[in-house]
Amino acid sequence: MSVEVVPDLPVGLRRQGVTGRVLRRPAGAVGAALLVLLALAALAQSLGLLAFDPAVQDPPSRLQGPSAVHWFGTDQFGRDLLARVLSAVANSLRVAVVAVLISAVVGTALGLLAGYFGRGSDLAISGVTNVLFAFPPMLLALALTSVLARNWFTVAVAIAVVYVPIFVRTTRGATLSVRQVDFVRAAVSTGQHPLATVVRHVLPNVAGHVVVVVALALSWAVLTEAALSFLGLGTPPPAASLGSLILDARTTVFVAWWTMLFPGVLVVLLVIAFNLLGDALRDALDPRGRR
Amino acid sequence: MADPSPRSPRRLRPLRAGLLGHPVVSRLLGAVATLLGVAVLVFVLLRLVPGDQITANLGTEAAALTPAQRQALEAYYGLDRPPLEQFLGWLGSVLTGNLGWSGRAQVSVLDLTLQALPITVELAVLAIALSVLVGVPLGMLAARRPNGVPDTLGQGASLLGLSLPAFLIGTVLLSVLSYRFGFNPNGQAFAGLFDDPVRNLQQMLLPAVTLAIGISAPIIRTTRAAVLEVRGLDFVRTARAKGVGERRLQVRHVLRNALVPIVTMTGLQLGYLLGGAIVVEQIFSVPGIGRQVLLGIQQKEYALVQSTVLVIALCFVLVNLLTDLLYRLIDPRVRLS
Amino acid sequence: MRIRLALPVLIAGLVVAGCTPTASQVDGPSEQQGAGALVVGVTSDPDTLLPWTATQFQAVNVLQNVYGTLTEFDSDLEVVPGLAESWETSEDGTTLTLTLREGVTFHDGSTFDSEDVVHSLEAIQAEETAAVARTSLASVTGITAVDPSTVELSLSTPDAGLPSNLASINMAILSSQDETSALETAPNGTGPFTFTDRTPSQSLSLQRFDGYWGEAALVEGVEFRVIPDETSILAAMQSGNVQLSVLDDPLVAQSAGAGITIERTPQLSYHALQLNTRRGALTDQNVRLAMQCAIDRQVVLDTAALGEGEVTGPITSPAYRSDPADRPCPTRDLDRAREYLAAAGEADGVTITAIVSQGEYATSVNEAQALQAQLAEADITLELETLESGAYVDRWVAADFEAAVALNGGRPDPDGMYGRYFTSEGNLNEVAGYSSPRLDELFAMGRAETDENARREIYAEISGELEAQAAWIWLFTGYTYTATTEGVSGFVPLANGSLQNLRLVSVS
Repeated sequence: MSVEVVPDLPVGLRRQGVTGRVLRRPAGAVGAALLVLLALAALAQSLGLLAFDPAVQDPPSRLQGPSAVHWFGTDQFGRDLLARVLSAVANSLRVAVVAVLISAVVGTALGLLAGYFGRGSDLAISGVTNVLFAFPPMLLALALTSVLARNWFTVAVAIAVVYVPIFVRTTRGATLSVRQVDFVRAAVSTGQHPLATVVRHVLPNVAGHVVVVVALALSWAVLTEAALSFLGLGTPPPAASLGSLILDARTTVFVAWWTMLFPGVLVVLLVIAFNLLGDALRDALDPRGRR
Repeated sequence: MADPSPRSPRRLRPLRAGLLGHPVVSRLLGAVATLLGVAVLVFVLLRLVPGDQITANLGTEAAALTPAQRQALEAYYGLDRPPLEQFLGWLGSVLTGNLGWSGRAQVSVLDLTLQALPITVELAVLAIALSVLVGVPLGMLAARRPNGVPDTLGQGASLLGLSLPAFLIGTVLLSVLSYRFGFNPNGQAFAGLFDDPVRNLQQMLLPAVTLAIGISAPIIRTTRAAVLEVRGLDFVRTARAKGVGERRLQVRHVLRNALVPIVTMTGLQLGYLLGGAIVVEQIFSVPGIGRQVLLGIQQKEYALVQSTVLVIALCFVLVNLLTDLLYRLIDPRVRLS
Repeated sequence: MRIRLALPVLIAGLVVAGCTPTASQVDGPSEQQGAGALVVGVTSDPDTLLPWTATQFQAVNVLQNVYGTLTEFDSDLEVVPGLAESWETSEDGTTLTLTLREGVTFHDGSTFDSEDVVHSLEAIQAEETAAVARTSLASVTGITAVDPSTVELSLSTPDAGLPSNLASINMAILSSQDETSALETAPNGTGPFTFTDRTPSQSLSLQRFDGYWGEAALVEGVEFRVIPDETSILAAMQSGNVQLSVLDDPLVAQSAGAGITIERTPQLSYHALQLNTRRGALTDQNVRLAMQCAIDRQVVLDTAALGEGEVTGPITSPAYRSDPADRPCPTRDLDRAREYLAAAGEADGVTITAIVSQGEYATSVNEAQALQAQLAEADITLELETLESGAYVDRWVAADFEAAVALNGGRPDPDGMYGRYFTSEGNLNEVAGYSSPRLDELFAMGRAETDENARREIYAEISGELEAQAAWIWLFTGYTYTATTEGVSGFVPLANGSLQNLRLVSVS
């Protein structure tokens, strides 16, 4: 139907030291450090270890600039912006991780099924995948979030549906080429159960592709969640989301620049972290990229 | 749909298998199946979204309707028919070229779409053009000396481009430019490209730049990777050894052969842009196809949303088919097989 | 090389051209409509051009300038003559005789007379028209044209609110010769402007109607330009592309820069926490009173709407305004809230779920959050269910909620405003979630009473009763903000947010 977007060449995760190879690259090291830092801060905020609660309002101190007390300033309710931004990061991470987890598991399973068994299952799965691909992704997420009762989990599910086809395609393509490789043929000819062949021989060899896409999909999921919230259809308030913080800041930015700056910077940092990791992973797993 | 018209009569003989097996025919059949799937999906999704056109129009006043009033309105909007009948009725009229009627705009959906689609296409083409103009040279520059200064800068730029959400760029651009510099062409009545080209291009500038920032990133990357790969190939080395000038070498030999992945990536981006510029269209009040769908969803104008989504999907499928054809044309290896 | 140079130059050229707008660029419509056209920024275009079924704010605003009504409101929302020059109620209150203005013509040139009035009012009464003002004519049993300039309405019971109800644009008088289906694309009214054309979801243009019966409009035309959100409208005003706009969001209004004049008008519409007294814990009056005492309305107003508004009781129209201090807890009283809660046997606290609309109006979610924070201090947990506006309306219409954070429209006449909510026969009573024999009786008295002072007393009592029962929790009324650029003058804003006075605006 359309152009296949499959990273080059089959690569396995079996080869040792992927983590080390990723972290030895500057991109990987910076990305990982950034992500760990953001995740720790978000976790500290979620566990209530920081000074302020993101939901507690303090009207007298509203729209105050950054200070020693409120590092990122306050919003129009006098809520601490640092607390809100960090809980928004926590929310983004939670939504993105759950969404990508769901789509990776479902998409990989379907992709293996279609790629390995082919025929009817391939026709059906590829058909549905093509439909989802042709459906404008933003509209699909938007419609799904309006259909489901809205909370962070349903937002994650909606985003997952949008990304399933990418995993299906990636896995299917990789499976098709792995199936032709000798050791898989050998396994088939020895009469091994097809499922066992898939799990023991095919899955490990397509896992590399999936891992690379996971890292990239995480960055897209963060962006999609933010965009949905910006349109007012993402994570519902009072929970903070990076997109809704920026949406709210549109009206306050001229009296309080910090309301736009900090959420904006944080969303970019978060996406950069995932992108750097994704790049490093791809390089590390690509045999041609090894130096 | 289209006549498969096989080129030589010889191909006609194994009729069934031959026709269905022909790559172009199976492609077209697949496209039709995909569009049908999109039609079903959008129809079902819309019915699942809470609210209908009556509550969308009357808002909370809908609570004051008597049963007879409600019935009258349901008949007016065609909501009283069973879903399957609604679906088949809609699909039937779409196949005859009637995309439905927008009660809000009092115009046929076809007319609305004919107005909105060219605007989105223009925006998408401008955005793609900008990002190709910026992305391809940058990618080539970066590939000239991997890990050199331009390469590092280019990689950084593309990383930033990938990581900046369009809604953030759009919001910041619009606020800063309009408040600080009084530059806000999008506040004027929208001008069509042929009505007032200068104003139209002004109005397209910010949305196109916003979109281009995101799109140029993958184009820079694809170009860099493709050029690096091609440069390593024998014929380039041979050409260089033969003393072909560097400029000529870059354009005639390297770029031309690196074109396949670049075209593929560009086509992919174009396909997504046609349906994916919703947020940017909304921020800059560009009356394109994305805003048409968004408004339709808000107003629960079922026929409008269904038909528009189908049109977007059709564009996506067509762009992909074209990309594929183009790809066959450019790539000598594909052409041979 | 050439490409690399050309692109920035091209972009720079466009930017410079955009920064220094020439006259033709600023006055977009001037090319089409001649000088003196006014550009009004709106967030959405009308969803219908039929006045009888128009409830959307933007539709009402356009149609008020195109259609005429029998009575009208002046800037204090007092009822003044419109297409009816005068009216008289019979001694027993069961006949209303309207004397129509003569020499009025529709935009298509046909003459307005009593036949049009009878046709319109009868159509509004017919259920198949699905007119939203149908119930406002519930007391009308007969409509007769006595002569071309006299119409007689027979009433089943006296209805003091009727003249005021006739001023709604949903009661617009249409020509008896017109088919409503044709009017959906080509409106034909008696208002100060005629409809010229529209580009869906972009703009809608009106032109001055020189045959208008009153003083003709000062501007030659009006263009309603659709700019999807208020921040962008203000940005368009900043750059001089839009000259007038009515804004709702106080935050946006406050961010207006130099060169834009903002005028605030208190609104009839009110922000409230609607309670459904027929559900769960809220069936207990003490729980409702506890909630009422736990809320500091001023703080809700200050945080959710930057203090832009006034704390209010139920009735918001200037002539009948409720005294906001006339309620069980005029100021926040957490001790009393706890006492009420204990009296309800819920000393450990209760949980109430409230539906909140997201996107319907600017301050909804903010209000909900402020209410949630305050009620929590009185051990009342307010669970928020944030819904996309379509889903919210669905639930609201079906009265499927315990509590609802709502912004409801107000009306100049208190009977028109609350009769439909709080009388047991009212068509919105299920949504209101409360009625009592006492309220039924009071509303009937108010409707029959024609003496202004006596009516005021009755409605003060109704207001007190609603508060004492804590039927709902009334919070505050907001402002609308008329933003105008330099050179625009004469606009008179109304408390119902109406743009009906566009004909008084002049642009220099």
